[in-house]
Amino acid sequence: MTERALGHLRVIDLTHDVAGPYCTKLLAGFGAEVIKVEPPGRGDPLRSRGPFYQGVEGPERSIPFLWLNTGKKSITLDLENTQGREILRRLVRDADVLVENFPPGVLPSLGLGYDRLRESNPGLVMASISRYGQDGPYRDYKGEEISLYAMSGLMNETGDPSREPLKAGPALAHYSAGMCAYSAILSALHRRHRTGRGEHLDISIQEAALVNIEMGLVESLQLGTVRKRTGDNHSMMPWQHYECADGEVAVISGPIRHWRRAEKIFDEPRLFQSKYDHCLVRRFLRDEYEEILAPCVKKYRKKELFLAGQEQGLAFAYLATLEEAMELPQHRARGFFEEVDHPVVGRHAYCGAPFKMSATPWRQGRAPLLAEHNSEIYGGLLGLSEDEIQSMEEQGIL
Amino acid sequence: MSDQPFAGIRVLDFAHEWAASIGPRLLGDLGAEVIRVEYAPRMCVIRGARLGKKMYNRHPRWHQVNRNKRSLTLDLKKPKDLDAFRDLVRICDIMVSNSRPHVLEKLGIAYEDLKKIRPDIILVLMSAFGTGGPWSTFAGFGGTIEPLSGLQQLTAYSRGGKRYRTREMDVCNGLMGTCAILTALVHRQRTGQGQFIDLSQTETATHSLMGEHLLEYVMNGEQTLPLANRHPYFAPQGCYPCRGDDRWVTLTVRSDDEWRALCGLIGRPGWADDERFAGRTGRRRHHDLIDEAIAAWSSGLDHYRAMELLQEAGIPAGAVLDGRDLQQDPHLRARGYFLHADDGGDALFPGLLFRSSAGDGRIFRRGPDLGEDNEYVLHRLLGRSREEIEPLDEKTIGTGYDPE
Repeated sequence: MTERALGHLRVIDLTHDVAGPYCTKLLAGFGAEVIKVEPPGRGDPLRSRGPFYQGVEGPERSIPFLWLNTGKKSITLDLENTQGREILRRLVRDADVLVENFPPGVLPSLGLGYDRLRESNPGLVMASISRYGQDGPYRDYKGEEISLYAMSGLMNETGDPSREPLKAGPALAHYSAGMCAYSAILSALHRRHRTGRGEHLDISIQEAALVNIEMGLVESLQLGTVRKRTGDNHSMMPWQHYECADGEVAVISGPIRHWRRAEKIFDEPRLFQSKYDHCLVRRFLRDEYEEILAPCVKKYRKKELFLAGQEQGLAFAYLATLEEAMELPQHRARGFFEEVDHPVVGRHAYCGAPFKMSATPWRQGRAPLLAEHNSEIYGGLLGLSEDEIQSMEEQGIL
Repeated sequence: MSDQPFAGIRVLDFAHEWAASIGPRLLGDLGAEVIRVEYAPRMCVIRGARLGKKMYNRHPRWHQVNRNKRSLTLDLKKPKDLDAFRDLVRICDIMVSNSRPHVLEKLGIAYEDLKKIRPDIILVLMSAFGTGGPWSTFAGFGGTIEPLSGLQQLTAYSRGGKRYRTREMDVCNGLMGTCAILTALVHRQRTGQGQFIDLSQTETATHSLMGEHLLEYVMNGEQTLPLANRHPYFAPQGCYPCRGDDRWVTLTVRSDDEWRALCGLIGRPGWADDERFAGRTGRRRHHDLIDEAIAAWSSGLDHYRAMELLQEAGIPAGAVLDGRDLQQDPHLRARGYFLHADDGGDALFPGLLFRSSAGDGRIFRRGPDLGEDNEYVLHRLLGRSREEIEPLDEKTIGTGYDPE
């Protein structure tokens, strides 16, 4: 049997939406047994949110859900019911990790706060993910990804200076928080191995996202400077996209010792006049430099210029469509995409391992059907009888 | 100190720039000893472009990104320094690098080499394109990875308009590098087994930001994004002007109740029962009209005030904050997010990635001066005699930018 890095761990997963499920997807992928606890009936609200496979709604067809929940087990349990909460306590007693992202205060009000849960499991590592953390004046603030992107200073720097700030397409704040939560849990487990004690971790999505602007933020704190949107104009120049014959190419320069190699690509001596020798000076001459550079780029096809740059050790790129991104020769050679089979939506290529571990590889798995593992967990793990399970199902507890 | 999560762990930080610096820094925040190996003739670009007045030791961004680390300068092309590096590997638990794989091979410090020195070493190699494959030797920055991975297709003001970069590839990749380091450490702590982690930053950026979007493309042959500032499901959602220069507030309406509250707040109570705006479908159809009404309301208000009014009415909202707002933000201050360094005087630093009931990390020192710990590492840790250690020659120091 292949050894997994986290194969010794059991995780109770009370999360929904994006940040928490991405964290527990990583835990599952590196081997932990992740038991996803969903409300009976409709399950994780993400199951009801599209886009859906082939545009048809259904709890097993939500594409973000299918992506974010690979490798997990699904059980249903009503935490608003006394018996349901008792079952959760039993599950947590034998678990290593509990992850949740309810609004702060919800679990304690149900008698499921960290202080109560650790009484029967002092080694429990509990991670609470929330928008703004477990305390402070914004603790109960509501907000979707756009508002977290705004409140963490990221949005101020995205987009064009003459327009409104622009939200990043991907849920950058939530995914940052998912990775921070994973790191928090593993740090706590590393300590627990030595001390035997668990801990309660407080992951604020806002604070997790702030690391993305830490360099600008520390300068605001210490130098009083404030960054603005630049419309992707970089402090080094050139370091942005230009139109070419069939799309856009990222022309990335760097110091002159690198950039001079572009002489072998662009047949245009004016680009390499000595007045342009300093990468930070070129940005002050941006307009006149672009006037010379843009026509040179225009002559090339995007993949051709990308390879010509890389041949000279320059970090050029082309603006790939999603189709082209799926087909990058490097992805193919490394087998980045893995086929995943699912009983409702069938076989499709998903991104595989986030990184390749030589001794303890990633295992992908698929997203569970709602309540798919009720009998395995309630019957097998907790030893409830079929009658008990059926009766609780009828009462809507499972 | 001794019960910090990574007390007793020693990290060889062979990073350049930002992404690979983030994982070792977290370990340093939480008790590990982190030794950053630097090449003085071509310093990390985070040390800036200026050599005068030793400016390379004085940038707040360096102090932040490399806090809780020690600095050792080595020139691995010199046999004596390479020897020291190899001796350092012997007493380290993990090495982190973002060099391209063939660079480590040429220097004789690839995983196979390290393993001979220290069999249970962990190497996390987070290159732009990973090991193997036709692009393994290619160079890449955030500005390379974002367009190639397809990520940049998702961010734009309009469907067919210019694609913008997001902030910030280095951090997503740095956070995933952190996940990689910790996964290997937890495994090694339990089993004693080290390993090689082959991390492609192109793959991690893809995995950690656009897995769901690529899957949509695979399954349905289409992409929902870009949608500018709108939400694929809820409506309205947007970014609206406030009083002052470049001031904005964002909001999302997720339910009919929130819609009713918004209509009241912006002075359009009649819209709550207006058929045109029934449900999120109706509101999406008339999104432009709704946007105009929200902007007319918000533009007279301070951006914090607009956020507070929206929150009081139960509507999800957030002001667009810049560095000046953040550094005095009452919430971050109340949570004690900003930290002082033990050796940093009054200067404040952005804080920790997360908090713990078992005690948080701290900043015991800001990012080190170039070569500050040469004597500590070479003499105290590696037992070189003091006479053997050459003082750092100012004349050899060079920037990663262009010479002035």
